[in-house]
Amino acid sequence: MLEFMDYVQTAFHAQSRWNIDNSYAALTTTAQNLLDFRIPQGLRLHVSSLSSPSFATSYTLGSNGLVDGSLSFLYSSSGLSIASKSSDIRLEHLVRGYRRLQELQRPDELHWNEIWHQGKRIDRKDALLYGRLYLPGSTLEALYLRRISPTRMLRLSGVSDASLPNGGSALALLQNDYGKYSTEYLYSTDSALLGLRGLYNFGYDPRTLVSQQPQHSTRAPAHPWDHQSGRLSAGAEAYFSPINKSGGVSCGLRFTTLPTHTGFPYTMTLTVNPLMGNLSTTYAVQAGRYMALCSRFDFNVYSYESDVVVGVELWRRKQAAADVAWASKLVRPGWSKVVEDDVNGVLKAQMDDKGKVGLLWECRVKELLVSLGAGFDLKKRERMLGSVGIEVSYSS
Amino acid sequence: MAFNFNWSPLIADTDRVRDMLTSSLNKSPKPPIIVDDIIVNELNLGSTPPELEILEIGDLAEDRFRGIFKMSYTGDAYLTLKTRVQANPLNTYLSTKPSFASPQPLAASSGLTIPLQITLSDIRLSGFVILVFSKQKGITLVFRNDPLESLKVSSTFDSIPFVRDYLQKTIESQLRVLFMEDLPAIIHRLSLRMFSPEYQTAENQERSKAVADGEVPVDPFAGPAQQPVDSAGMPLDGSAPFTLDAPTETYASFSQKNLLRLATLTESQRTLSLFTPGMRDTVYRAWASAADREVANDASTPMLSRPPTLSRIQSTLGSQSGWSSAASQTSDVPSTATRPSLASFASAPTVYSLSSGAPRTRPGRKRKNRVVNLRKDKGDGKDVSETASVSSSGYTASASGSAGPSVEAATGPSSLSNTQILREGEINTPPRSPKKKVGFQQQSVDDSARPQRNDSTIRGRPVTPQTRHSSHMQAADDNDDTPRASMILPEKPTEVEEKRPRRPQRQPLPRMQTLQERPRPAQLNRSSSSEVSLQNLATSAFAGEGSNGGILEQAWMMKMATEIAKRVSDEKGKQQAWRPAEGNEGFDGGEAPPAYVS
Repeated sequence: MLEFMDYVQTAFHAQSRWNIDNSYAALTTTAQNLLDFRIPQGLRLHVSSLSSPSFATSYTLGSNGLVDGSLSFLYSSSGLSIASKSSDIRLEHLVRGYRRLQELQRPDELHWNEIWHQGKRIDRKDALLYGRLYLPGSTLEALYLRRISPTRMLRLSGVSDASLPNGGSALALLQNDYGKYSTEYLYSTDSALLGLRGLYNFGYDPRTLVSQQPQHSTRAPAHPWDHQSGRLSAGAEAYFSPINKSGGVSCGLRFTTLPTHTGFPYTMTLTVNPLMGNLSTTYAVQAGRYMALCSRFDFNVYSYESDVVVGVELWRRKQAAADVAWASKLVRPGWSKVVEDDVNGVLKAQMDDKGKVGLLWECRVKELLVSLGAGFDLKKRERMLGSVGIEVSYSS
Repeated sequence: MAFNFNWSPLIADTDRVRDMLTSSLNKSPKPPIIVDDIIVNELNLGSTPPELEILEIGDLAEDRFRGIFKMSYTGDAYLTLKTRVQANPLNTYLSTKPSFASPQPLAASSGLTIPLQITLSDIRLSGFVILVFSKQKGITLVFRNDPLESLKVSSTFDSIPFVRDYLQKTIESQLRVLFMEDLPAIIHRLSLRMFSPEYQTAENQERSKAVADGEVPVDPFAGPAQQPVDSAGMPLDGSAPFTLDAPTETYASFSQKNLLRLATLTESQRTLSLFTPGMRDTVYRAWASAADREVANDASTPMLSRPPTLSRIQSTLGSQSGWSSAASQTSDVPSTATRPSLASFASAPTVYSLSSGAPRTRPGRKRKNRVVNLRKDKGDGKDVSETASVSSSGYTASASGSAGPSVEAATGPSSLSNTQILREGEINTPPRSPKKKVGFQQQSVDDSARPQRNDSTIRGRPVTPQTRHSSHMQAADDNDDTPRASMILPEKPTEVEEKRPRRPQRQPLPRMQTLQERPRPAQLNRSSSSEVSLQNLATSAFAGEGSNGGILEQAWMMKMATEIAKRVSDEKGKQQAWRPAEGNEGFDGGEAPPAYVS
């Protein structure tokens, strides 16, 4: 489940019209959501609040070993009009599951954001400030986002901790998103790591279709790879550290179905690390509105190590109220209902070939959002249950 | 001086060394690049030992050694390590960083573990090493400077020069740390296992075993007769109470205060300090030596042959036989001539003592040697003296009453004259001042009379008849030997356990017995050994009566004595307070007699 602050950040991105999926780093988001979900450890309590459209606070208290906690504050220059009450937030917004990619949007024009008043531009760039202080560990995390332009965002993040070398590190990330392709440049002060990421989407160029509606079904395929109902993307990343004289390279490929696709939406990815010889392939399918399946296969051509992970996500529908059940049955099939939040719980499970099983159950109880997690190790006969955790979150 | 290296035993036990090295390498936190445990695959110590050149020897003894050497090693030893390393530097770099400010690459940081095997060979060492060897504490080897000169590192990555150089540099630095810090600890533990069998077992076993060993000298029942001299001497080593390494069992039967006082006494001897602490419940060697001189009077062998140094050693060692012989008090005894030599001999712990000696008088007597006769046949007298000294020492060990010392001392020498009787009962008999003896009366009158009376009181046996008897015998014996009373060393009560058939010559026993009677109760109150001494007393008491009694008679007497001893020990607690007062009667007011008897 997304923490409240991440939820607010996502709202900020959405509000400032930033497509977080159009990045090489988000190539395998679906598989990561379905397979690499975080299982809570110990007991944790979150209390958050969106005190004003621009300001959010959150406090967490955990008992993982010693009692620890954190305070976090967030400020957004643009007011966020989102549901912040834990009883109102849609569970699908909080629980990351199958990521249904939308059609590529044409990037906004620069002048669309201009707001003039009495002859002066008074629009301001969207910015977000976020800080988190961990106690008693005395670790400080800071984040600064700024939407420099509709196609550019700067992200500065830093961690300050006495136990880290040089007292901490900072990361600067400049992201450019032009719809058809996106690039990222990053620099980390820790060992002067330079990074470069790029993603290219095959298919139609949204920039060229200015006036037309994106009617993909009628559009002729531009080239053999241009599936109207799917999108193929390819990307690569490279890192280099002049201090360590080390680096890394990887490249990836993704094919995902678009909403116009008839049938079950599915996503396939393939990522390769040529230096280390690592191959990783994932396949995720949304088999119904309330279920999603995913599998991943890793393989190393040098050491022949392999890994298989399967995951499933099940949503629990809300039971229709008894008094209106008869009425819902009378609704004609064609009539569309207001899409309400009709799920009140989700179960996630993943299992790998080493016998490790992870279970996560997230639901809403009254006004609280609860997530229960447990990790098993089936290979160990004597101590099968590894870690169990529960997280309770409340926001207002 | 040359060093002869027996290089093979070390090679034979490389398994243990391998395990120790493996555990020590994995103890410290490993860098993230190493993803698996470091396992020592093979350890070969080579064929050539290191060359040592002695620079300085600091301490040299049979069981101790300390020296500074210059060591150089140019052998062909080699060591093979096996582990798994992470081949992706980005993985090791990012795994240690917090995820919030990390670039979080998609797949560029995926890991790849590679098994790695490293062989260290062509090790060249040269440096100064301080080697300390102690039989109890093992070997300690410390390098004064960094000994590693050069090293050849070969690994599975030899084909990549960058990795090869990096490994060479890293391992060389780690090895320097290992030599300076970890190697001394490993060698120390290994040496403990090899040279001290006790350390191989659990510590409890070691302690119990040590206690068992230590009980021998401490227990008055035990005697040097049951052990070779050396090993008996070891626990009786006077240095034991003075060193911190002394087995704890030494303290089990000794009064801590007395041991402390003995330590102070030794210190004062070494530092020319004039302070001599008075020790209660001890028998001073000076007293015994006076009694010994009496014995020595008849000695057939010259007692002066005894090296005076021995006496000194004995005096220092005589923590247990702290009793300065009553000889000092019995100096007026007629047999003064041989006293000095006797005195030197007299100290109890010196079972091993040795030799010559007046106490060896009594050639005519046939004695049962409770002590292993290490000396040539100098005659029975020697054995007697030994026994006597042993018994006296044992008696002292039992912390007999302070009045006892003089009595014991007197008894000791006197016992020599009655070797046979001493064999069985005499040794059991605590030393008594030669009260009954002519000439000794004065010295031991106060001492022995009281014990005698008390003995009779406590044991309920009529002492007087024995006294009379003993006086008879005393007169008779005087012709024979040197005054026995003075030579009645406190026989080790251990003899009591040896229920040997009583000798006909038990007559002197009663004499000695009566002499010792007064201090006896005090001594008996001390410990179980005192019970034994009581038994000795009892047996000797009866011995006098039935000098020709059979074995059964003797056994019965022993039994009686044991019972009485038990009874007395029961009253020990009550008489605790009473004991010190009595103890001082032997010598005036707790003043310690001179430690050395010239």
